[in-house]
Amino acid sequence: MTELIDRTGTETQEAPVVELSMQQAVNRALRVLLAEDPDVLVFGEDVGTLGGVFRVTDGLQKEFGDRRVFDTPLAESAIMGMAVGLAMNGWRPVPELQFDGFAYPAIDQIVNQVARMNYRTRGAAPMPITLRLPSFGGIQAPEHHGESLEAIFAHTPGLKVVAPSDPGDAYTLLLQAVRSDDPVVYMEPKARYWERRPVQLREPDEPIGTSRIVRPGRHATLVAWGAMVHRCVQAAELAAEDGVELEVLDLRWLKPIDAEGLAASVARTRRAVVVHEAPLTAGLGAEVSALVTENCFRDLAAPVQRVTGFDVPYPAGPLEPQYLPTIDRILLAVQRTLEF
Amino acid sequence: MAEESVTFTLPDLGEGLVEATVLEWQVGVGDTVGRNDPLVEVETTKSAVVIPSPKAGRIAELHAREEEVVPVGAPLVTFVVTVSDDAPQAGIVGKVPAEERPTRRVRLKPPAD
Repeated sequence: MTELIDRTGTETQEAPVVELSMQQAVNRALRVLLAEDPDVLVFGEDVGTLGGVFRVTDGLQKEFGDRRVFDTPLAESAIMGMAVGLAMNGWRPVPELQFDGFAYPAIDQIVNQVARMNYRTRGAAPMPITLRLPSFGGIQAPEHHGESLEAIFAHTPGLKVVAPSDPGDAYTLLLQAVRSDDPVVYMEPKARYWERRPVQLREPDEPIGTSRIVRPGRHATLVAWGAMVHRCVQAAELAAEDGVELEVLDLRWLKPIDAEGLAASVARTRRAVVVHEAPLTAGLGAEVSALVTENCFRDLAAPVQRVTGFDVPYPAGPLEPQYLPTIDRILLAVQRTLEF
Repeated sequence: MAEESVTFTLPDLGEGLVEATVLEWQVGVGDTVGRNDPLVEVETTKSAVVIPSPKAGRIAELHAREEEVVPVGAPLVTFVVTVSDDAPQAGIVGKVPAEERPTRRVRLKPPAD
C-alpha cells in the first residue's frame, strides 16, 4: 500500500477508512451525490436494472428509483444529447457511456453541444454534466472496448478531464466532478476497477486541477494518470532496488493540468518520464513535456522522455501486453534520462 | 470461498420452440461437472440435442425425469457452484487483470549527482 502524500503538505481531513474496490468507491460517490442533490440523474446503457456492466451503479436504481437512475437505448449520441437537454432544464446529469470506444458515436454531442453550450449562451446554459467513461485498456477486451481518449477531450475547449488512479481518489474526484458546473469527462481506468484498497472517503479539499505525489523520489519524476500510475509505482519499487529513487506524480486532472505541481516535482528531480497508454503522436505526453520544458527548462538534466502506446489502433485483447507501456520500457526511459 | 446454488432453466433450443422431452441425463445428483460438459440429451420437435453445462459445479437436483416433457423456462437442473470472494468477475466483456508480482529485465545505474 502506497502512502498517500498530499503535495500541499496539509493534513488530509479525517474520514473513516474502509476497504473498497474502485467500482465500489464510485458507487459510494454516486450514492452520496444522488442523495444530496435531487437534480442528479444517472443514466446510460444497463446502468439501471443490471447495475452496470462493471457493477458500478449496482443497487442505485433500487435505492433512488427509476426516475433518477435509468436505462437508455443503445445510442450514445442520444445519451449525450439527452444530457444536454436535461442540463438546460436544470438537471445535473451523470451519464455513462459503457466503454470508451463507444464514445466516438457521441463525439458530436460532446464536442459541439456539451463543451460549447456555456460559451454559446454566454453562460445562460451551463452544462453541469459529468460523463462517466470506463476507459483505457488492461482487461483484454475486444475491439472498441479499450481506448485512451484523454487527448481528444483535453483538446476540446470547455471540457474538464479527470482520470483517477485508485479507489480513494475515484470517490473524491467524482464528488468534485459532479458538483462542478462545468462539463467533466471522468475516465475510470477499467484495469483498476477490482483491486481493493483501504480507502479514506474524503470530501474534496483541493481545487480542481491538483496533482498528487503518490511516491516521493529524487532522481526522476514519472508522470502518469489512470491505470499507468500503478505501473509507475511498480517501476519505482523495482528501481529502488537499484538505488534509483523515482518520484511518481499522479496528474489526476488532464484538463486543467497542474503545471505548477508538475514543475515543482521536476525542478526537484531534474528528470521527467511521462507514461500513457494512448499512442505517442499528439498524445497528452507531448503536452506534459511542453509544460515541463516551458516551466523548468533550466532545471532539466535531460530531455523529457515519453513512454506510450504505439501509433497503431488500440489492439484487441491478446496483443495488449505488447502495446501497453511495460515496466521495462519505463525503466529504459529512466535510464536514458539518467545517462543523458 | 462461498457456495451458491444456481438453477438452470430449459432454454429455447430453436426458434420459438416451447418444450423439450428429456431423453437421457448424462449426469447424476452429486456429480461434479465442468462448464460445457454434456449435461442432458433432450428431444424437441426439430431434433435431439445434447445441452452442455452452462456452469462448473456440483449437481444438486435434477428437475425432470427421463421421458418427461419440460416447458421452455422451467427449471432443469440446480447446481451448487463455488463463488470466490477474492476473484471478482469481470463485466460482460474483458478479464480481471491478474495481480502478478511485477518483474523486469532492465537494471538501472544511479546517477553520479
